[in-house]
Amino acid sequence: MASATINNSTPQVQIKFLTKQEQYAVPDFPLSVHTSIVPNELNTLVNELLKESTDVKNNIEFDFLVCSQFLRTSLSEHILEKNISTEEVIIVEYVEKYPPPEPQDCLIHDDWVSAVAVCEKWILTGCYDNTLHIWTSKGKHHLVIPGHTSPIKAVAWISLTSDMATFVSASQDQTAIIWDWNIIKNSVDCIHVCRGHERGLEAVNVNYDKTVMATGGWDTMLKIWSTANQDENEDGESASKRLKSEHGKTRIPKRTMKGHKEAISGVVWSDKTEIITSSWDHTIKIWDSELGGIKHELAGNKSFFDLDYSTLSRTVITASADRHIRLYDPRSTEGTLVKTIFTSHTQWVQSVRWSPVDENLFISGAYDNEMKLWDTRSPKAPLFDLSGHEDKVLCCNWSNPKFMVSGGADNTVRIFKSKHIVR
Amino acid sequence: MKNQRKIVKRKLNNTLTENNVKKEEPDSTKSIFEEESDSGAEDLLSTEVNNNDESSDEEVNENEDVPVSDTEQDQIVFESDDEESDLSFETDSDDLGLDYSESDEESISLNESSDESKDENLEKKSKNFNIPTTSKDNVSEKLKRNESSKTNINIKNTSDTLQTKKQSKKQKKTNKINKSDELNIGEVQKDKVQNKKNLKSDIEKSKRKDTKNNTESNINNENNDKTIADQEVDEYEYDSSDEEDIRNTVGNIPMKWYDEYDHIGYNWDGKKIIKPQKGDQLDNFLKRMEDPDFWRTIKDPQTGQDVVLSEADIDLITRIQKRKIPDITFDEYGPWIEWFTSEVMKTPLRKFPEHKRSFLPSKPEARKVSKLVHALKMGWIKSTAELKKEREQKTNEPQFYMLWQSDDQAEEMRRIHKHIPAPKRHLPGHAESYNPPPEYLFDNKELKEWNKLQTTPWKRKLHFIPQKYNSLREVPAYPKYVKERFQRCLDLYLCPRALKMRLTIEPEALVPQLPSPKDLQPFPTTMSMVFKGHADMVRSITAEPMGQYIASGGDDMNLKIWEIATGRCIKTIPCGGIIRSVAWCPNQSLSLIAVAAEKKVLLINPDVGDHLITNKTNQLLEIIPQSDVIVSERVKTAVQWEQAEGDYWTNGIRIILNHFKIVKQVTWHGKGDYFATVMPDGQNRSVLINQLSKRRSQLPFTRSKGLIQCVLFHPIRPYLFVATQRNVRIYDLIKQEMIKKLLSNSQWISSMAIHPGGDNILVGTYDRKMLWFDLDLSTKPYQTLRLHGTGVRGVAFHKRYPLFASGADDRGLIVSHGMVYNDLLQNALIVPLKRLCNHESYNDFGILDVMFHPIQPWVFSAGADSTIRMYT
Repeated sequence: MASATINNSTPQVQIKFLTKQEQYAVPDFPLSVHTSIVPNELNTLVNELLKESTDVKNNIEFDFLVCSQFLRTSLSEHILEKNISTEEVIIVEYVEKYPPPEPQDCLIHDDWVSAVAVCEKWILTGCYDNTLHIWTSKGKHHLVIPGHTSPIKAVAWISLTSDMATFVSASQDQTAIIWDWNIIKNSVDCIHVCRGHERGLEAVNVNYDKTVMATGGWDTMLKIWSTANQDENEDGESASKRLKSEHGKTRIPKRTMKGHKEAISGVVWSDKTEIITSSWDHTIKIWDSELGGIKHELAGNKSFFDLDYSTLSRTVITASADRHIRLYDPRSTEGTLVKTIFTSHTQWVQSVRWSPVDENLFISGAYDNEMKLWDTRSPKAPLFDLSGHEDKVLCCNWSNPKFMVSGGADNTVRIFKSKHIVR
Repeated sequence: MKNQRKIVKRKLNNTLTENNVKKEEPDSTKSIFEEESDSGAEDLLSTEVNNNDESSDEEVNENEDVPVSDTEQDQIVFESDDEESDLSFETDSDDLGLDYSESDEESISLNESSDESKDENLEKKSKNFNIPTTSKDNVSEKLKRNESSKTNINIKNTSDTLQTKKQSKKQKKTNKINKSDELNIGEVQKDKVQNKKNLKSDIEKSKRKDTKNNTESNINNENNDKTIADQEVDEYEYDSSDEEDIRNTVGNIPMKWYDEYDHIGYNWDGKKIIKPQKGDQLDNFLKRMEDPDFWRTIKDPQTGQDVVLSEADIDLITRIQKRKIPDITFDEYGPWIEWFTSEVMKTPLRKFPEHKRSFLPSKPEARKVSKLVHALKMGWIKSTAELKKEREQKTNEPQFYMLWQSDDQAEEMRRIHKHIPAPKRHLPGHAESYNPPPEYLFDNKELKEWNKLQTTPWKRKLHFIPQKYNSLREVPAYPKYVKERFQRCLDLYLCPRALKMRLTIEPEALVPQLPSPKDLQPFPTTMSMVFKGHADMVRSITAEPMGQYIASGGDDMNLKIWEIATGRCIKTIPCGGIIRSVAWCPNQSLSLIAVAAEKKVLLINPDVGDHLITNKTNQLLEIIPQSDVIVSERVKTAVQWEQAEGDYWTNGIRIILNHFKIVKQVTWHGKGDYFATVMPDGQNRSVLINQLSKRRSQLPFTRSKGLIQCVLFHPIRPYLFVATQRNVRIYDLIKQEMIKKLLSNSQWISSMAIHPGGDNILVGTYDRKMLWFDLDLSTKPYQTLRLHGTGVRGVAFHKRYPLFASGADDRGLIVSHGMVYNDLLQNALIVPLKRLCNHESYNDFGILDVMFHPIQPWVFSAGADSTIRMYT
């Protein structure tokens, strides 16, 4: 054993290896190791064990979890920090290390990219030059869609089939436009212009069954719109409205909800009927879209710039007017609201997105030109810094598990390919 | 004279043998006699009296007696008075012939004596006070003999003696009194003389005795004469036979026993006293007819003599008959003289039984006693015996004198309460030794130095040269000893020592206790955004009321609109001149920025935010309101309103105000209709107030008070703050008068900001100060903050948070906590929080303008390095 060779002058602890990845399982007997052991040494140890027990031949990088937090320092320090007794057998869980994302492409735009949305292989971006762009994940520019009169602040896919796609863009020109994109013809139609906000929009989010969407903006209102094609669910009222409107495309909000005191910066559907919003007025509000009221409110002490909700972990991460990312659990009512604070950015964090497949992973984009990949079990340090941007990162997206996409003030969209691990 | 002597002798015998009553008298009388005899020259009266062939002694004796009758009248038992009157006047009535003369004399004297008697009476009264005391002794003596009557008499006697004393003294004093005495005495003397002449016998002698001891003997005799029943009753009570002066020696027997005999008794010599001739009926009748005094002539039963009652006696009798107090002189209504005390005596003569409580022990007393006992036990108080013992012990102990007492404790000196002992002299060191170690001895160099300081000896390190001696014997006498002692004494005497109170004040104690900045969060701490885009100095910034955008302008002549959240420059509007001031219209239903570019003030619609509002603003400003108000020449030359057209309009410029001088500042009123522009070079037209809705300008001041730096509207009231170089004046725009003048006490005011509450203003000056004025407090700064190293260029208050910030040429932006309390009694709390220094210096300029985000606790600074920085 490796541990046997180490001099016994340093204190030793008993550890037991555990993994949820069955292919890397090792026999679960306790091992005695010195406390100053570092993850690298543990890694070699596990690899040795694997080589003995299984037919895995090549070295695999593992990350070690002690007390559901990544071991980043020596075991002794970690134990001290977590206040674990050294008398008992310490269970060390190990997972295959997340492979470093690789920068895949850089999509150059004419202006700041303030919004990005990915759906399968299509990347939709919104720019400060009032245009929308459609790219493939390979980096091929497909379409430029002018139409807005002000910078686009948010974009979202509604539906995507092999030949048709629908998406929405929210802009500072106080409108959200629902576009119909014929992929085969590569032509875009503006189906609906959602008018109702009195100031610029900041965020848009489509619910899970893609029937409604919610938008928030500087007029502090949260508005819910129908995404459905007007022709399909046309009723008498909307018909009359259509007659009135110039283009016949104007759509009015299904519901307007008032409650925030300042600009709504982030909107996310957490449920069929539940919307979570973040605002500059230092609050996160949870709304019921059916009843049209506030269900719950979380108060922070800084303005929120963005939030995302994970259906896997059912928690909320927020970006606010400081360099911290905060993890909230909207379900908990007592105790501290902030469950974890992730600190590594040096400037305002502008955007956060959960991984669609992993409950622990998320990415963040900040004004310090960095995008970071985080694991919720490692609050002190991110898993990876995804560098590349030369200016502020304004938006990011991880809808497709394969691609982490970010847009920034350097007029580029950067695509990082993430090799997803099946667990 | 022989007779006189005889009488004297007899008298002496009498007094010696029989008169116990007079036992006391001789003392007093003798003393008086002696006195009188001593003072022979004074005995004018007595000599006079002697001329009437009576011895002075007798006279005095008689003098004693005569007044007795007088005195008796005063204070006497009434029974005796009756008897007395009987007796004494019998003797008088012996000589009828002489009676006349006497009566004449008396009649004369009566007039006089009426006056004199008053005097005498007064005297007597005064003496009466004395009598009880003097008589007490006598009374006690007499009581032993159970002779109450005699006590009375004795009292009289003593009082008589006193009287006589007095009289004798009086004789010397007043002639009148002498005369009256003479007269009184004279009467008696004459009686006696007559007696001698008539009788010249033993009987006479006995009579004389009667006159002498009139009362006592008479009383006895009269008692006998009185009713038998009385006699029997009184026989023993008044049995004072052996003391009485008796002429008839038969004793105290009923005189009827002698009825059958022709004598009525025997005199002292044993010879019969023959009964006087009794006239027959006719004689009696004749006598009654002839004698005018018959009615007052009575018979002395003992001697059988007739006695004519004197006027006084008759008076007395009549008074008694009238049941009046016999003594005329007795004042019934005089002040009550308490002979016997009314106070409760120790053994009072009371019949009722003692109260029960007098038999029970007193409770408060018991308490008192128990207290005392307790105190005694505890040793708080000491019994006299103990105290005495202690004192004795103290005195018995040997007393030692503390010889060195003053050495270690303050001397008990009078009038010196806080004695400060003289400072101790330093103990001699090695250098003072007679045999110092060699290193203490001077070498040549040291000696030279020592000698060099001959003229300034106080500069020397040592005041002497260390000397080495082989033995103590060789040490010579110290020559300066006396002088130094004297100097020291002088020092101590002439330099009074005083206690010096030294205050130890820590520098920390002087600094006011301010709360820790940690407790005053939130406030901007870190730089979060840099707005880059300007090509030259940014002179002024302003924020959109919603807090989404800011606008800035500077030397590059462009107005830039920025998005706060991203730092993106959204718009750039060329203004055609150096922008010195930008101000976003506070009216949220208008989308306008006032820009001061050189001599123009541009009203620009930035076309950001609500489209509805921007469109409305455009519509509103397209129409030029028509007004028929004639603009005065003064205003017209100062400013002309101009509607923007063409390129200007497309750029967003809506209205241009052409001023006649460079506009340095533009500021909006809180409602967003009025805005003021400042042209420092405009003389008396420096300040213009423009109304947007009517496109009209006003010149509020006709005279310039100085070089106006900046103006400011009060957020609530219609006040205008005008800052000249030195002072800030507050004008009421409605009343059109100056309200206040704030004295900055600085050289050059640069900028001004008002607290949203409107009661505090912050003034930045080029001489590195920031002045916080509390308008309610005074016209002088409530606090002066010297936080910057160079001139302060911009100050700003936050609208919601208790924050203010200042930017200066030293590139530093200082954020401070400025809490204004609603409570008027509490002064504002000012705590400098953070110095933010990120700007780069450019031509010695640092920060040119400072502004807070309208909602968030973020601060913006416009720097000369052509950037705007935001701190959060």
